[in-house]
Amino acid sequence: MTQTLQGGPRRFSLRRRGAPYLFIAPFIVIFALFSVYPLTFALRLSFTDWRGTGSASWVGWDNYTYLLTNPAFWSSLANSGVLWLLIIPAQVVIGLLAAVLLNNAKLKLRGFYRTAFIVPFVTPLVAIAQIWIVAFDQNYGPVNDLLNLVGLPDIGWLTTSEWAKPTVALLFLWKTTGFAIIILLSGLQSIDGTVYEAAALDGATRIRQLWSITVPLIRRTLMFLVVLQTLAVFQMFTEPFVVTKGGPYNSTTTAGLYLYTHITRADLGTGAANSFLLVIVVMLLSLVFVRLLRAKD
Amino acid sequence: MTATYESRGSRIRSVLGSQAFMVVLTLLFLSPVVWAVVSSFKPAIDIIRDPLGLDPTTFNLDNFAAMFGDVPLGTGFLNTAIVLVLKGSMILFLAPLAGYAFAKYEFPLKNVLFGTVLVTLTLPIVVLIIPLLLEMKEFNWINTFQALVLPDSFNLAFAIFWMRQVISSVPDELLDAARVDGAGEFGIFWRIVLPVIRPGLAGLAVLTVMNIYNDFVWPVVVTTSDSMQTLQVMLSTLAQNIAGNTIGTDYATITGELLAASSIALIPLLVIFIVLQKHFINGILAGSVKG
Repeated sequence: MTQTLQGGPRRFSLRRRGAPYLFIAPFIVIFALFSVYPLTFALRLSFTDWRGTGSASWVGWDNYTYLLTNPAFWSSLANSGVLWLLIIPAQVVIGLLAAVLLNNAKLKLRGFYRTAFIVPFVTPLVAIAQIWIVAFDQNYGPVNDLLNLVGLPDIGWLTTSEWAKPTVALLFLWKTTGFAIIILLSGLQSIDGTVYEAAALDGATRIRQLWSITVPLIRRTLMFLVVLQTLAVFQMFTEPFVVTKGGPYNSTTTAGLYLYTHITRADLGTGAANSFLLVIVVMLLSLVFVRLLRAKD
Repeated sequence: MTATYESRGSRIRSVLGSQAFMVVLTLLFLSPVVWAVVSSFKPAIDIIRDPLGLDPTTFNLDNFAAMFGDVPLGTGFLNTAIVLVLKGSMILFLAPLAGYAFAKYEFPLKNVLFGTVLVTLTLPIVVLIIPLLLEMKEFNWINTFQALVLPDSFNLAFAIFWMRQVISSVPDELLDAARVDGAGEFGIFWRIVLPVIRPGLAGLAVLTVMNIYNDFVWPVVVTTSDSMQTLQVMLSTLAQNIAGNTIGTDYATITGELLAASSIALIPLLVIFIVLQKHFINGILAGSVKG
């Protein structure tokens, strides 16, 4: 690519016409080898029974019907759905409040707060997940110690199926809410401040301003955030993989983690079928949110 | 939020309220990290006996010494460093190169080719894990650096998308002037475009380093041997490893070593983040493409 051809104007223009293809070629090679090929392979695989060795046998739609009639598949989706409910509304509310406050130039220490809020986003998830295990330990963890200090009883954060989901949700919220704040803040910064002055003259309260002016104006940013986080929640893998291993009683076996169980059981055809079903679910959900937020136009 | 007609009392109340909310949020965000790092210096037994206690006179490095004795965390760091250098330079070279082509050239099939970049960005990662793993087996690439470095269309596509936007703001006159001076197409990229977009590149570099350093799902699938594990993979199985290596290891010891290892893993990125904060925030914002 670095060779410098010397030549007349014709060669020059030939070189200029060829250059962009050469510059893009490496990406296309990587895309073909590591996206297109595996995707077509996975599509074929999803219609076969294959255990990783020997020959694959064609089973038609069996993998798909197996999954769609399997309670474990539905409960993995339900677990992700519950996690979504625990995470997204809380993140939008906290994120919006923090972003609105950070957007006020008169707030003291804004730079410090902004830095502090992004720290979790920068930290490695695996390290934090390990810290979560220690911090939320029922008998020896600091979280239950804090609860005891204010007179509350111990909670079996990781040992009971009712509390395991909130514990995983808290980890996700902790890790990504700073990101949400930064995204929402960038949306707020594009709003023209004079709209609020008009609203204040009309006597609108701050809460009312937030709901009827701010939210509609940053609708696109909100939509972007919700779609992005929905994708992340339904593909969530590392958090339950490290913290709870999907337990107790599969209560934290998310859609992403359930997919992984097919790999560990070497049931690759079912795994491939599950990937495509999950993609369809995720795409449908994204479409729903895009529609919902567009409808307010 | 610039309501003009408010009584003084309500303004003070709202300032106090805002500050209280921000302080609580800051505490929630920082306390797990601070608690883990501070606790890793405490004697292991004290971490579980009195998790909230603080007695700096007892601070020592025993947990770190024990952890390095039990787990080859140095190997994990080294593997992560190698992947960082290889994959980081690959992305930081190929992304602006392709971004330059998309931003500054007109050519047949341009839209189709750019379409592949966009398609890659919308493809959920889960759908690729299983077939990619099988492909790696076919290539005999399990437990190799090429498997850790190459199969990542997503991060490359994201970087190309971003660099295309950055480079399209470079004035055409600058490129034409270089062309008149006889610079080759690659020479223009190397000597004009790259230096001009240095701030954007810095943002991309910081975000890329963070993504590679923290990457877990793909490395855990594609590395099965201990000697090839990246730092994050090693960290994920730390507790089982410690318990498996030394029979009768108690919970306190494992906890102490776990916190020591997690703290060490946190520190490099926190330092980079604090030094290069501005580039980080630019990086995050570049990722949020507001349409």
